[in-house]
Amino acid sequence: MVATTTRILFETFGATEVRVFYAFGWAAIAAFAWGVYVQIRKYRRGAALTLEGSLWARSRAMISMVLSHRSIDRRDAAAGAAHRLIFYGFTLLFIGTATITLQYDFLEPLFGIRFWQGEFYLIFSLVLDVAGIALIAGLIHMMIRRGWMRLPKLDYARPDRSPGDPDFDRPQYRREDWAFLWTLVIIGSTGYLLEGARLVWLQGRPDVWDTRWWSPVGAMLAAGFQEVGLNAGGAAMLRHGLWWFHGLLALAFIALIPYTKVKHIFTASGSWLARDALAAQRLPRIADSAAQPGVAKITDFNWKQLLNLDACTKCGRCHEACPARAVGAPLSPRDVILSLREFAHATLESGVLPDAAELDVHGKGPGQVSMETLWSCRTCMACVEICPVAVEHIPIIVQMRRKLVEDGAMDPLLTKTLQTIHKTGNSFGESKRKRGAWSKALPFTLKDARKEPVDVLWFVGDYASFDPRNQKVSQTFATLMQEAGVDFGILYDGESNAGNDVRRVGEEGLYEVLATSNISALAAAQFKTVVTTDPHSFNTIKNEYPDFGGKFEIQHYTTLTRELFRNGKLRVTRPLKYRVTFHDPCHLGRFNKGYEAPRELLTLLGCELVEMGRCRANSFCCGAGGGRIWVPDPVGVEKPAQNRMKEAAAIPGLEVYVVSCPKDLTMFEDALKTTGLEGKFVVRELIELIREAIPA
Amino acid sequence: MKILVAVKQVAALDEDFKIRADGRDIDADYLIRDLNEWDDFSLEEAMRIKEAANTPGDIEVVAVSVGPASVDESLRKCLAKGADRALRVWDDAIEYSDPIAIARVLAAVTMREAPDMLFAGVQSSDHSFASTGIATAAFLNWPHAAVVNMLNYTPGAKTAVLRRELEGGLLQELELQCPAVLTIQLGINTPRYASLRSIKQAAAKPIEMLSLADLHLVANDVGESGSSSRVRRMYLPEKGRAQLIEGDVATKARRLAEIIKEFRGQT
Ligand code: SF4
Ligand code: SF4
Repeated sequence: MVATTTRILFETFGATEVRVFYAFGWAAIAAFAWGVYVQIRKYRRGAALTLEGSLWARSRAMISMVLSHRSIDRRDAAAGAAHRLIFYGFTLLFIGTATITLQYDFLEPLFGIRFWQGEFYLIFSLVLDVAGIALIAGLIHMMIRRGWMRLPKLDYARPDRSPGDPDFDRPQYRREDWAFLWTLVIIGSTGYLLEGARLVWLQGRPDVWDTRWWSPVGAMLAAGFQEVGLNAGGAAMLRHGLWWFHGLLALAFIALIPYTKVKHIFTASGSWLARDALAAQRLPRIADSAAQPGVAKITDFNWKQLLNLDACTKCGRCHEACPARAVGAPLSPRDVILSLREFAHATLESGVLPDAAELDVHGKGPGQVSMETLWSCRTCMACVEICPVAVEHIPIIVQMRRKLVEDGAMDPLLTKTLQTIHKTGNSFGESKRKRGAWSKALPFTLKDARKEPVDVLWFVGDYASFDPRNQKVSQTFATLMQEAGVDFGILYDGESNAGNDVRRVGEEGLYEVLATSNISALAAAQFKTVVTTDPHSFNTIKNEYPDFGGKFEIQHYTTLTRELFRNGKLRVTRPLKYRVTFHDPCHLGRFNKGYEAPRELLTLLGCELVEMGRCRANSFCCGAGGGRIWVPDPVGVEKPAQNRMKEAAAIPGLEVYVVSCPKDLTMFEDALKTTGLEGKFVVRELIELIREAIPA
Repeated sequence: MKILVAVKQVAALDEDFKIRADGRDIDADYLIRDLNEWDDFSLEEAMRIKEAANTPGDIEVVAVSVGPASVDESLRKCLAKGADRALRVWDDAIEYSDPIAIARVLAAVTMREAPDMLFAGVQSSDHSFASTGIATAAFLNWPHAAVVNMLNYTPGAKTAVLRRELEGGLLQELELQCPAVLTIQLGINTPRYASLRSIKQAAAKPIEMLSLADLHLVANDVGESGSSSRVRRMYLPEKGRAQLIEGDVATKARRLAEIIKEFRGQT
């Protein structure tokens, strides 16, 4: 008997009723297909882009990410767990339903194959029952996060619009979220009710009734129904009604996928598939054939960026991580993405493309992004790094800035700085000739790597060359290298600003000038490896110069010094007993994963390292990136560096706040003073601590 | 319609500069060259007038400079910022010209181009004569206004209304017959940024070369012979002799007495 047990589908349905149901089914599929077509047409209206690497490797990475939920677990394990329940619950139920269709509509009528019965069916029932519970549990957790926990990152209020602006907090998003959750909960729970009603209705059929505990939730509900006096006849009617309700709702859900946030099932997967692991580290070049640099119109974004916009699930993690948002600047990476998504939705989904004028994404209108927003970004990568669906905000922001730069729509101070860099090769407006002048204070002569071969070529960078406080650090580092017997030299005035920040400002032409000038200076010198004390230079030389023909082996000083300690060239003679914390510079940490070397060095020096809450990948930007070091933050409001100083001050007994980036030293020493925390602890460059532990 | 903008490539001192062997100028190796800051504003003003017009295509902004080939870089910047054409006048005889001789050249260019307006900067940041623009007006016998910090002008109009900065914070509003020569003051607008990309693209645009003959001038009109002044020498004044005396009152008094004695040659 068990061998023939199977799901009751259309029993007792009249032929017309079945036909009506199929009509709805086909309508849902048609609506779905049309929606998918419209979305794909929208993405195809973006600029062309050829992805690097094999599709196979990309697919594997995507599938592994989707199945493991690694990216959703990060910094919010509860959300990860709940989403995992929903994902696996939904997937199993979907596969279950798809299998029914497969047999009922294809295999059986065409080939007479029936597999969906007997033990297979029973196990199947059990699995689906559990899947349904998982789905509903996950959905309820999501409701609790929204309704009761009221997580700040799920608040859609925007820092770049004021209350009253139609785009301020987007109530339609809130409604959509709730509608989505409720629809799935209702589909899931009516499925169970349906199951229970079916059991009561068919209680006389042993093949159904005797195997009911294979669908435990249904069986319990059936018992409940019987308890309240439902008989087989009543149950048949109830089942009939529920069947239609459940069926139509499920079909409507499918039909609506491409039109609602549900589409993230596809767009998020697509986003992972198209992901560029170096999106923030290596910005795209401007094709020589490009009529204009950067993005002016929505169609100037490439298809992958348009897909990114639709992948965003509004999870708010980037919003939470963004240092600009944290200090009240008019920027939230989430809102940049959502604005552009709304813009693309409004302009690119109809049959005909609107006039170019209506495609302009710059401005203060609905869906447009204002220059104040774009200039607030520090290209710190906190957003790109945490996004669970591989949205790449930085190239989007920088490409929009390129257009602003072309139009000169920027702070006059920034204009001045760019002009200065063009004229003198450095942001300090100092004479080129003075670039190596800091080395005159050394008791020995630094080798000129342009004139003689060296083992290690030290790329010094602007701040370490010209800023008086950082010059001291440079002198200390030079002395340490000398003492360790390293054969090294610098390029003197052959070196220019590395261009990392110029590129992130969006002045690509100037970046090209700087990069090619440095590349030819480096190429003309003889050395084995490049070392730099500046994480910004490190990033661009390592990740971006290769695109311009400059392939050099480069390391940050922390790995080189660690090496010198490991092979005994440097030795700690006076261990430091400081209680310290370490600030991961964006360009060393998040950008290039240089988390370990500085920490190992601190341990070697004998320091006790206490981490701040926001460390490593979640390190909080000092606020200087993306060219913002050249444009002071507004007075009267907290600066990111000040915010960070307060975080550090909460560490009991903290003595030294350790940095390993010249810009950090400048920013944090300043912030320590302005927050009134001076005297509580000091800011030191790691190089200075090394010196202290190895008294000359 | 046309606006002619006279621009100059100025020199700024690098660190540790040297005076040229003849003592009349800085050794060119130690100079960093750039477009004169005032000219950034006058070009911008011309560009704004062009862009504000109903048919910007009908208005031509032409940048002109007198100088050797190195000046092309500054003219390219003007082209990058949107100037329609760039002219450069040079002849070796022009070397050592003073502002009056340069004005003679500019006046000849103006006659040839027949613009509706000629803009120049109030002065150049390197030599600060503040006379080229005004002298050009004299040669042309055109109305002129100096130190203009606000301008209301529609190309083709018979007059322009403008505001000038006077001493003591006074402002003067003026209505002027066109064509005229205006020297433009800093701050009249916010000059646009010439991106490197636009500068690179401007490199492909031609810069028209004009010789003295093209302007119906002869060698004697320019250079030292065409000038009303000549530089005798350029030098750094000797360091001042002030010194700060430190210490307590008694030490200070003692030191002061010593200095007075030294000064009077009593030691
Ligand atoms: S890069 Fe940093 S500052 Fe810019 S939007 Fe992302 S998180 Fe915010
Ligand atoms: S962009 Fe990514 S991190 Fe930001 S809200 Fe959207 S999904 Fe979340």
